[in-house]
Amino acid sequence: MSGSRLGVQPGELIDRDRVVRFRWNGAEHHGFAGDTIASALAAGGVEVFSRSFKYRRPRGILTADYHDPNLFVQVGDEPNVRAGHRLLIGGMDVTAQGAWPSLGFDARAANRVVGRFLSPGFYYKTFISPARLRPAYQKILRRFGAGGKIDPTTPPAHAGKRFAHPDVLVAGGGPAGMAAALGASHRGARVMLVEENHHLGGHLLYGGPESEATLAELRALIGADDAIEVLTNAVVTGRYDHNWVGIVVIQGGEEQLVKARAKCLVVAAGKIERPYVFAGNDLPGVMLSSAARRLINLYAVAPGTRAVVATANESGDAALADLERAGVEVAAVADLRKSGSLLVRAKGRGRVAAVELSGGRTIDADLLVTAVGWTTSTSLLNMAGDRPAYDARAARFLPGELPDDVLAAGGVVGDGSIEAIVDHGRVVGFEAGRRALGTRATWQRLTPRAAPAPEVDPEPTVIPRLPAMPHPELFAGPTDGFVDFSEDVKGRDLALAAAEGYDSIELAKRYTTVTMGSIQGKLAGVNAVAVHAAATGATIAATGTTTWRPPYAPITLGALAGVDEDPVRYSPLHDWHMAHGATPIAAGQWIRPDHYGDPAREVRNTRANVGIIDVSPLGKIDLRGRDVPRLLEFVYTNRWDSLAIGGVRYGVMCAEDGVILDDGVTARLEEGRFYMTTTSSGAGRVWNWIDEWLQTAFPTWDVKTTAVTDGYAAMNIAGPRSRELLERVASGVDSSPESFPYMNARIATVAGVAECIVLRIGFTGELSYEVHVPAGYGLHVWEALLAAGSDLGIAPFGLEAQRIMRLEKGHFIVGQDTDGLTKAYTPGLAGLVKIDKPDFSGKPELVWEGEQGAPRRLVAIQPVDGSVVPPEASQIIAGGRTRGRVTSSRMSPTLERSICLAIVDTEHAAAGAELTIRLPDGRDIAATVLEHHAHVDVDGGRVRG
Amino acid sequence: MASYPTRYSALALLRKGATRSDWPRAWRHHDLRSSYDVVIVGGGLHGLATAYYLARNHDITSVAVLEKAYIGGGGSGRNTAIVRSNYLTPEGSAFYDRSVRLYEGLTEDLNFNIMFEQRGHMTLAHSDASLRTMRWRAEVNKLGGIDSEVIDPAGVKELAPAIDVSDRPRYPILGALWHPPGGIVRHDAVVWGYARGADVAGAHIHQVTEVTGIDVADGRVTGVQTSRGAVAAPVVINCTAGWSTLIADMAGVKLPITTRPLQAAVTVPVQPFLVPVIVSGTLHVYVSQTARGELVFGASVDPFSSYSSRGSLGFTEGLAGHVLELMPGISKMRLLRQWAGLCDMTPDFGPIIGPTPVAGFYVDVGWGTYGFKAGPVAGEQVAAMVANGTVPRLIASFGLERFEQGRLTAEKGAAAVGH
Repeated sequence: MSGSRLGVQPGELIDRDRVVRFRWNGAEHHGFAGDTIASALAAGGVEVFSRSFKYRRPRGILTADYHDPNLFVQVGDEPNVRAGHRLLIGGMDVTAQGAWPSLGFDARAANRVVGRFLSPGFYYKTFISPARLRPAYQKILRRFGAGGKIDPTTPPAHAGKRFAHPDVLVAGGGPAGMAAALGASHRGARVMLVEENHHLGGHLLYGGPESEATLAELRALIGADDAIEVLTNAVVTGRYDHNWVGIVVIQGGEEQLVKARAKCLVVAAGKIERPYVFAGNDLPGVMLSSAARRLINLYAVAPGTRAVVATANESGDAALADLERAGVEVAAVADLRKSGSLLVRAKGRGRVAAVELSGGRTIDADLLVTAVGWTTSTSLLNMAGDRPAYDARAARFLPGELPDDVLAAGGVVGDGSIEAIVDHGRVVGFEAGRRALGTRATWQRLTPRAAPAPEVDPEPTVIPRLPAMPHPELFAGPTDGFVDFSEDVKGRDLALAAAEGYDSIELAKRYTTVTMGSIQGKLAGVNAVAVHAAATGATIAATGTTTWRPPYAPITLGALAGVDEDPVRYSPLHDWHMAHGATPIAAGQWIRPDHYGDPAREVRNTRANVGIIDVSPLGKIDLRGRDVPRLLEFVYTNRWDSLAIGGVRYGVMCAEDGVILDDGVTARLEEGRFYMTTTSSGAGRVWNWIDEWLQTAFPTWDVKTTAVTDGYAAMNIAGPRSRELLERVASGVDSSPESFPYMNARIATVAGVAECIVLRIGFTGELSYEVHVPAGYGLHVWEALLAAGSDLGIAPFGLEAQRIMRLEKGHFIVGQDTDGLTKAYTPGLAGLVKIDKPDFSGKPELVWEGEQGAPRRLVAIQPVDGSVVPPEASQIIAGGRTRGRVTSSRMSPTLERSICLAIVDTEHAAAGAELTIRLPDGRDIAATVLEHHAHVDVDGGRVRG
Repeated sequence: MASYPTRYSALALLRKGATRSDWPRAWRHHDLRSSYDVVIVGGGLHGLATAYYLARNHDITSVAVLEKAYIGGGGSGRNTAIVRSNYLTPEGSAFYDRSVRLYEGLTEDLNFNIMFEQRGHMTLAHSDASLRTMRWRAEVNKLGGIDSEVIDPAGVKELAPAIDVSDRPRYPILGALWHPPGGIVRHDAVVWGYARGADVAGAHIHQVTEVTGIDVADGRVTGVQTSRGAVAAPVVINCTAGWSTLIADMAGVKLPITTRPLQAAVTVPVQPFLVPVIVSGTLHVYVSQTARGELVFGASVDPFSSYSSRGSLGFTEGLAGHVLELMPGISKMRLLRQWAGLCDMTPDFGPIIGPTPVAGFYVDVGWGTYGFKAGPVAGEQVAAMVANGTVPRLIASFGLERFEQGRLTAEKGAAAVGH
């Protein structure tokens, strides 16, 4: 077969005036605009498109559409492209997949010879010993992997996602779907109509004059209807809870994800023609009746020169008529509806050469067209909870019970004339519109400012019955052939699997991998069930189907990912830091200054003069209402109801299991106004935590929470001269130690900016003030502080200097010096756990730990050799076992020696205890446990001064 | 122990192929007896492994494995088939080290190729904090004799060239914990291999047999009620996941477990390009490429309790975004299928293995996201516990009583995604 383009066909989709040139396996080819890759290649005489997965058999066109298992090709850097669907583009570089060294000769096709030894699951039965050779076997087996090639240097393809809110979403743009869209629109609904092919119409596209007339009319009506949006070349990939529907829109090699919340979903996905299981059923030249009809009518390609048609239905009859009209010689017709008429086998090497029918009659032919029945496309219904039931009379599975917001129309439900299908679709759409408007009315009534709710007809429309017509049960013929073309699974494989004990369809699927390939069992599913049922002696109905899972069709990772990225957060002072020599560091979502050149110098300056650090990423929550003290009493372990206005308290939050969740300080600014700070990384978590309690356990409490992390810039001035600095810039506040003592907060005007919050706290172990200013004034206040402090020796310090100073002071960091089991007693917070409170989060667990004693302790330790800084996570060992670990360690610029915090078993936690630290390089060093956590400012004189 | 009617081997394949004769059933159907010495509830990896080791190591063969659907249909067939032993606590790493060693010998032991490929297991660190945790794990592992080390971004690139180690990603890679013995297994094969081994040793595997009640008298278990009738047994072992609390409730035993879905997905296959198993806790994702060429993805458990085994669209979106952060070159690969499995989460993320207040009623539950890795060792240890009547040292820290004694295990400290 070569040069098989036919004369002009009435419904052809190609534009003969536009020649498109492309390459196939390096050779120049051409087709017309409107051709698929497969139709252009077929017109150019190409018969073999791929080699099969297991036996490396040559494979040709089977369905000539989106679901063809034999037409996966590589296009440039894109693997697994569906050549029966993808339209030709000029310059495309198309190559066959998995054929090595070439499509014509595949060395691995030797597998065919030994095919009988490759029984299902053969790999479970061999390569067992010797074990030392198994990695080599595994490498060889990997060579047989399926699919195209990935080039890891391919630039990422991401398209933005789209959200849609149609009243009615119709999946499938054939006659029923088109009519359903019109019916729904007629009710007043806004409709989205999704069709996987490039044109609306489904089988009307190749159905002859009557179809053409109907299609033209439906298209005209849809085109004129502003309430209907049509997405072609788009696939509904999944129906999730509450009609959350994923749709992938394919544009060449690019895909976009559309996410639709459909008030009502109409599934008009039609039927998928089923292959027949017989010997030679995978030879190139054996194809389904719908494939032959597509090739002839849509692409004007003769599928062969001399055909045998095996038909059991009107689709086969129509294909026969198409072939005759196209001038293909029909050598024989086997009418499988007649008893005794059989399709026995297709013969040929590398392609079909002859067909054996009943009675040993063998006919030479290069084309065998089969029409043996249909599989209902129930995938989306299945995702909506339906379990389709088998109807033996119709020889297919049919939908069962559907939820109210999902309807099925047309061929999914039954059979009928074009008129009957259109009528069914129209009425289903009309009813879908009614249900959708009912939902819209309900939503709009709940939304005060929405448009007035639509009028909704309370009476459901009666949907006409669309009975499924009788069809002979034709799944497998008298000889054995392929059930699953993607996975190279034959009928005998399923029978062998059942005999070996894999006798439930789910086990058979996993053992033989039937239906697990790239087309997800759309062609193989029902044949597999039928063959399996025959092997086990069960009925098809009792065997049932395996579960259809989303996505309905594979979707690229690029489309799923879209352009969403985790946000990067910057302080309002970020540009200043970068302009002043800061080295940035990623800290969770934030980018922060790690240091400005020399962290040790920053520490020494802060301890001697005054330093300033940007702490804007601190989590900040504005809490207002009468019941805030009750909330604080509940989420923190310590007491809050006695906190006076102007007071600040440090608190630790524990989860229900008593494990430390976060810590921070909270200030009472006014009677019913509190200001909470959290760790930077815990900001979101704490806000969620508080709101979860308020919404679930304490909905009647008068507490309003507002996350204001980004609303305030925050800067900490620390060091012995920080008070002097504050006095210079702040007004409306008396900074003297008597009237503004440690752990107090004031509202002040700072550098002319009113309503700043000043907290006197001391994470660094110095006299320090944390100034929170409205974010827009952050830079102004920061620069004012620097200017005012220039003669005081002010210098900025970064995260690293802060980490050193807090370690010198012995303050722990949640998540670094605590872990997933650290309860409040471990870091020595007994004084902050008020178990006499009626209740608080984590109380029962803490009461318990208080009684039993914490099994581990956080302690400050110092290596005996102060020049060695044991890396964080170094293990503390005794008797060859781990007894704890170093959680934080630094060289202290203040003490000029190494200092650490560590979590150790309580028996090793006593002050003065000698510990052995195993360094990652294997050396052991000695260290001593200190009495207090603090290495510097042990008596607290500096922070309280 | 009885031997297989036909041992699997390359030679046997040739013989069967040449003579076109059938293989014997891998496991047989039996009538449900009115009594067994041991009833195991749940025909997944743990239940079948327990039955196998009861017979092989302890000669206990009057054993029924009761499965409400088909074997391996729960977590055993829904996990992402990753095996490793680089756990955070000494107890955890010793336990999983034993499991890895059993996995290494399982193909020969079961005469069933489970296709354990020790491709190496790499846990990426995207922050100082996670690098610190990696070092912590590496140090604990080294003390326990487990092959585990921290490598730098260049080392990551060398082992997995598709990974982007530049500073382009939102969360650049700062290093990784590298664990060469880790790898992937054909998960169904493990189930079938144990089923075949248990069957030939005399255990009865009853599929489509649902346990509807557990009989307890005077604080002792006496048997179970099933959809096929009553079965008397002095020992009943709860080896279920997802419904473990409901089974335990039948015996009046309360378990501190909440059940959450964990979602997974697989792509259309491509030619091999990724050898090791890649895990990123920061990005909540783990990836491996199967011998067939598919990428298998998993994530952390969903943040809500549910018995649903359906996947969500949002999961695939987040997953794809995170995977492309790691490997930006694979944006044209296509997601083929998604699903969910059920994870029984305990307060400390450790399992619950051991006796219960009801004499004769044992549990092997609460496996969270680690059940597959632990299957062989759990089966071996539970069998030893039942046979000897004492709790073996290797599982001593996983008893139910720890929740009443405040002796929680520390695996939760290993952060959310531990695969």
